[in-house]
Amino acid sequence: MGRYLLRRLNLFLATSLVLIAVLFITTGYFPVDKQYALTGIESPTLQQQALSRDEFKLDSNGFNQFLAYTEQRLSGNLGLSVTSQKPVIDELTQVLPASFELAIVAGLLAILLGVPLGVLASLSKNKITQHSIMAITLTGYSIPVFWLGLTLSLWFGVELGWLPISGRINLLYEIEPITGFMLIDTLLSDSIYRISAFLDALQHIVLPAITLAVLPFTVVVRITRAAMLHIMNEPYIRAAEARGLHTGTIVLRHALPNALIPVLKNMGLMLGTFASYAMIVEVIFSWPGVGSWLVSGIYQRDYTVIQGGVLGVALIIIFFSILIEVLHNAINPISRKEIYAAN
Amino acid sequence: MPLLDIRNLTIELDTPHGRVKALERVSLTINPGELHGLVGESGSGRSLLARAILGVPGHNWTITADRMMWDGQNLMEMSSKQRRNLMGSEIAMIFQDPTSSLDPAISVGSQIIEAMPIDKSLPLWKRGRVRRKIAEKWLHKVGIKNTDKVMDSYAWELSEGECQKVMIAMAVANQPRLLIADEPTDSMELSTQAQIFRLLSKLNQLQNVSILLISHELETLSGWCDQLTVLYCGQVMESGPTSELIAQPFHPYTKALVENAPDYSGELPHKSMMQTLPGSAPALQHLPIGCRLGPRCPQAQKKCVSQPSLCHKKDRYFACHFPYHNEPCNDDTSS
Repeated sequence: MGRYLLRRLNLFLATSLVLIAVLFITTGYFPVDKQYALTGIESPTLQQQALSRDEFKLDSNGFNQFLAYTEQRLSGNLGLSVTSQKPVIDELTQVLPASFELAIVAGLLAILLGVPLGVLASLSKNKITQHSIMAITLTGYSIPVFWLGLTLSLWFGVELGWLPISGRINLLYEIEPITGFMLIDTLLSDSIYRISAFLDALQHIVLPAITLAVLPFTVVVRITRAAMLHIMNEPYIRAAEARGLHTGTIVLRHALPNALIPVLKNMGLMLGTFASYAMIVEVIFSWPGVGSWLVSGIYQRDYTVIQGGVLGVALIIIFFSILIEVLHNAINPISRKEIYAAN
Repeated sequence: MPLLDIRNLTIELDTPHGRVKALERVSLTINPGELHGLVGESGSGRSLLARAILGVPGHNWTITADRMMWDGQNLMEMSSKQRRNLMGSEIAMIFQDPTSSLDPAISVGSQIIEAMPIDKSLPLWKRGRVRRKIAEKWLHKVGIKNTDKVMDSYAWELSEGECQKVMIAMAVANQPRLLIADEPTDSMELSTQAQIFRLLSKLNQLQNVSILLISHELETLSGWCDQLTVLYCGQVMESGPTSELIAQPFHPYTKALVENAPDYSGELPHKSMMQTLPGSAPALQHLPIGCRLGPRCPQAQKKCVSQPSLCHKKDRYFACHFPYHNEPCNDDTSS
């Protein structure tokens, strides 16, 4: 197991290094002065110029520049935002929690609804139930997310007026960011309106979370169903039946833990798709997360924001996909079986 | 009254090659307290019969029977819930493939504890510990010494033999009235085999558990069982008390089995041919009509293309048109 963890850590470091190299090379191709692309200061003073030449070793060869670039970026120096002239790292840490909040709520929705529905679809003997669940998930899988987001906000936000369609919270409420998660911060704040603020934040997250949850939800349903259908025919399920256990016990204790393993694995694979969908959803619902921040940075030719955003998002995706793989191996005794035999 | 009484059980399988009668008109009677052996080659449908008795059929099976009685109750008319209640408590089964019959995702211990009987008189918080104690006791009985280590392991960390012992402990713990043991000692060394057989026969003698012992080893079965049933290609060839059956087989197949058993007295010359019936057992999609032994049978005649009905003489049953037995037999199809 130790060797395995070391190998995963190595994978993380190597992938991150390649990512930084790609960023470094593309930064050189930005159609502006290199110093401007690196620091985000348009007309630097002589002092600033000397400082950044020293920091990024701009007078040295390419390899040394790359090393200096890596060192600066990893130590948190992402430069100043071209448009706001504030440090990119501060903006990034401000928008990241919003994205995480949306992603966590959407992910929970997808899993908590998807797994039971998948189990139901696999156990049901009724052809109509089975086919309708499959048809619904296939429809959900093929609906483009930008169209779904716009349609939902048109119906529920504009025509019916049930739910707000933009932002995280009504501007009336002033909430001090503590954790950065609006749902938690509203509850933690000592304002007398905290409950109504919480409800307002909850209303704001409903539409974006549903829009984002549709794709992972359909995938979870389909994978759970396929895994359950396979596992219910395994000899150990038959043996459990032969011991006279109730069907409920068999499904919950024996079939489901085995079926969730491929679900977890596929969630790791889906992370990249999920992140790009999250960006689209954030733009549609003006959710102040890393996605809309990055997209507006791209529109405004904000070179430092583009670099910082891509670096942050990509590092997070790399980290989580490796984390899910490690978790998958730690939780799941069957995959440890292969390591058990190998080492 | 017999504990289990099956008459003319037929199992048809839907295969890509069409519908195949994997078991054809099989009859089996097990009396209370009997150790009944079921001999047959692999592929002769022994496991199918066991699963049909227990009530865990595959999805492509069609089961028909004239009669399938369990202790006076008709198994064919029971709902799946009633069958499930019988399983585990009254009929238990030891499966052939122990490692894959244990859930790979949870530890062996929790599965054993799950299979242990619950003492309803105990308060809730004590039940867990008591069940663990019972589980350890049964593991000791089947011959596992380091119970803690085995219970903390996963199925794939144990050897086949250990898994098989665990399966046996789970099956016998509820003290069923009928125990179906499908090749229980398949993957064990000889000394352990004897230990398991002793355990089974002790259960049989002390607690009056009827046991249906399924195996391909005629010698082992004849040593332990009171009654034997010989199965070939899904048809019953002969059945009766072990000693009589071995001493004087009526059916050509039984006779071949008994006579072809290798003789270890040392009289067999080096590299000489072993005696067998000519040919090999047919595959499921190429079953001969009538008596399925027909093409290989030394006694076969034209009449053998129709399936012989089960005749009985005293407590011996055999299905053959030309048995090694001269007196006319009673047709048993109507009984």
